[in-house]
Amino acid sequence: MINKEKKVANTTLGKKENYLKKELYNLIKNDSTVFDFLQDVTIDGLWFWDLDKPENEWMNPKFWTTLGYEPEEMPHKSSAWQDIIFQEDLKNVYKNFAEHSKNPEHPFDQIVRYKHKLGHTIWIQCKGLIWRDSKGKPRRMLGAHTDLTKLKNAEESLRKQIDSFQHIIDGTDMGTWQWNIQTGEVVFNERWANIIGYTLDELKPISIDTWLKYAHPEDLKKSNELLQDHFSGKTSVYEIEARMKHKNGDYIWVLDKGKVVSRDAQGDPEWMIGSHQEINEKKKDYERNRLFIEQAPSAIAMFDVEMNYLAASQKWYEVYEINEENVIGKLYYDIRTRTKKLTNQIKEIHQKCLNGEVIRDHEKEIKSVNKATKWLLCEYRPWYSNENKIGGIIIHTSDITKIKKEKELQAILEVTKDQNRRLKNFAHIVSHNLKSHSGNFEMLLDLYIQENPEVEYNEIIQLFKKASQNLSETVLHLNDVVLINTTLSENLSSISLKRIIDKVIRTVSAFAIESKVVINNNVDENILVLAIQAYLDSIILNFITNSIKYRSPDRKSHVTLTTEKNKDYVVLKIEDNGLGIDLKKHRSKLFGMYKTFHPNVSNSRGIGLFIAKNQIEAIGGDIEVESEVNYGTTFKIYFRYEKS
Amino acid sequence: MEQLLKFILDMKKVSLTCIIDDDPIFVFGIKKVMELINFSDGIMVFRNGQEALDNLKPIILSKEELPDIILLDLNMPILDGWQFLDEFVKIPCAKKIIIYVVSSSIDPEDVLRAKSYRAVSDYIVKPITIERLKEVLYNFEKV
Repeated sequence: MINKEKKVANTTLGKKENYLKKELYNLIKNDSTVFDFLQDVTIDGLWFWDLDKPENEWMNPKFWTTLGYEPEEMPHKSSAWQDIIFQEDLKNVYKNFAEHSKNPEHPFDQIVRYKHKLGHTIWIQCKGLIWRDSKGKPRRMLGAHTDLTKLKNAEESLRKQIDSFQHIIDGTDMGTWQWNIQTGEVVFNERWANIIGYTLDELKPISIDTWLKYAHPEDLKKSNELLQDHFSGKTSVYEIEARMKHKNGDYIWVLDKGKVVSRDAQGDPEWMIGSHQEINEKKKDYERNRLFIEQAPSAIAMFDVEMNYLAASQKWYEVYEINEENVIGKLYYDIRTRTKKLTNQIKEIHQKCLNGEVIRDHEKEIKSVNKATKWLLCEYRPWYSNENKIGGIIIHTSDITKIKKEKELQAILEVTKDQNRRLKNFAHIVSHNLKSHSGNFEMLLDLYIQENPEVEYNEIIQLFKKASQNLSETVLHLNDVVLINTTLSENLSSISLKRIIDKVIRTVSAFAIESKVVINNNVDENILVLAIQAYLDSIILNFITNSIKYRSPDRKSHVTLTTEKNKDYVVLKIEDNGLGIDLKKHRSKLFGMYKTFHPNVSNSRGIGLFIAKNQIEAIGGDIEVESEVNYGTTFKIYFRYEKS
Repeated sequence: MEQLLKFILDMKKVSLTCIIDDDPIFVFGIKKVMELINFSDGIMVFRNGQEALDNLKPIILSKEELPDIILLDLNMPILDGWQFLDEFVKIPCAKKIIIYVVSSSIDPEDVLRAKSYRAVSDYIVKPITIERLKEVLYNFEKV
């Protein structure tokens, strides 16, 4: 201050001085109260030092009150302040004093620390000026203190704050930016440049155009809209996930966030500060998940914590029969699925899962578009974001309708097997017991007639005998049926079909000749079928005798047997030109027990086809029939054969 | 002619026949038929396998008069025909006793099983007729 005044004095020398200045200077010379006022309000301490007697030094009262001492208590000795100044700073003071006393051009000006009476540090800017005599010898020194403590503290806490912010920014790997919206001036940190592969120097000169240059053009529009929303106060922060062009040519994803921190007098935004965070890895992870889910061959969908669709596989759309083309971004509950009425229960499950629970084997029933019931098995799993926070859930669904149906079928099969077994048991017992009784009847009747020969021609006894015979015969048929083992498929042997047919033809030859029926066996000798000989005998016999029995009296009758072979079966065709069967009427009961269709043909028992069909099925075959009344009947019998 | 037949039959008479069957009607009937054709001098009847075994065992061991022919039913309470056979073949016996299984069952499995016993001569399906019984008698004479 003194220094300055001196300079001012020097520079203004010779010029016409301001009268007020002249007046003030005179006032100071003549009236000490002016000086007292000045020193009290403008300076935090004034001292005047006798360099001839360096122990003597005068300090004004403010000098001491600034440092916390009572001015009255303190001696006007230089030792008094030298005791409470920080000793490191005292060295600096001596050094500067030595320099200044040698060379007046060297300023005596430094910041020093004093220990306040209460123990804390007082920061003092200390300036001084040596007064020299005419020979240039230093005689006196005048000095002034300015208390910088408040400033220093503020600076300190600011630095700490900046440091800690810096730490945070460094820790998060965040790029930072400051933007003066009105001037276009911007400040980026090094990391901002690093994110897109550059150093800050490489990007220079930096302006808002730098950002415009590297931002993806498609994102700029959205970005601008969001900025306007923020400027107008619609949003409290500006935030966007946008792409930036990396030095390597790729676009990378950046989370750009910012906030207006100052506005001008008109309320227009002035400064805005913000950050850039690279989210490329996160985005990539998500993309990978999305791709995986979309391509998954099963029904999978991924949701965020609000249950918005993030991804869904094609199969998901199919299983839930979702009509919407794209559900991504839409709420689960807004998508029409056929499970609608279960929404509350499902919401509960979702909530549980969002709380970290894995829910497996949740079965639900939905009504398909075609009204069929569909059974779904669902598994719900939370998925975790990088921060180990639940990011949403993944639902995996399988359509288990088929399995369900198979299970049902299996159960029915079991029941049927059981019933079949019981039925067989029952039939066995019934047939056996009935047979004993009918046998007894027959025997007793024989004996009765034997003992009383005169009753043999009694009508009642004759009817009795007929009834007894019928009963025995019925029981025999029942036995035949019971004896057909339905699980024979394993121990079948390859048998020549032609040989068996020939044998049967020999057996029925008398009957055939008598009935004038020609039998043509056109089966190749080499045709072998898988069967049980006794069954095969019985089957062929049945069909041939049927053909003879139901011949037409109106024409020359014949039965022709031929075969053809397909992938799975040898098909034996037994074709006759007999009476034929009205299949429209009788197809359903054609192979039933005790069904006869030709009232005029005697000797038809209605058991042959039933037994034949059962025997054919027992050896893994099948039977088909074509017939036309008065034209004839063709039976097609499918036999399995051994494939080499 | 009848006199002659009676004479021939008298000559080859079976001295003792054993019927093991739980059906009284069958037993009545067969006894009647046997009488008619003079099949056997004596007939002993047991109502099941156990009863038969309990009675036949001491007879065999004491070498009393043994039956020539046994007509054995299969379906019987307590000890059935099969069980009787299994026990009976274990008894050492000097005399060859002809056993016929006489059952209403026409299950081929039963027939095969019966024939698997060496002691069993044949399988007769009920009802047994006069002709069939005569055949049995004829076969006995042949042996």
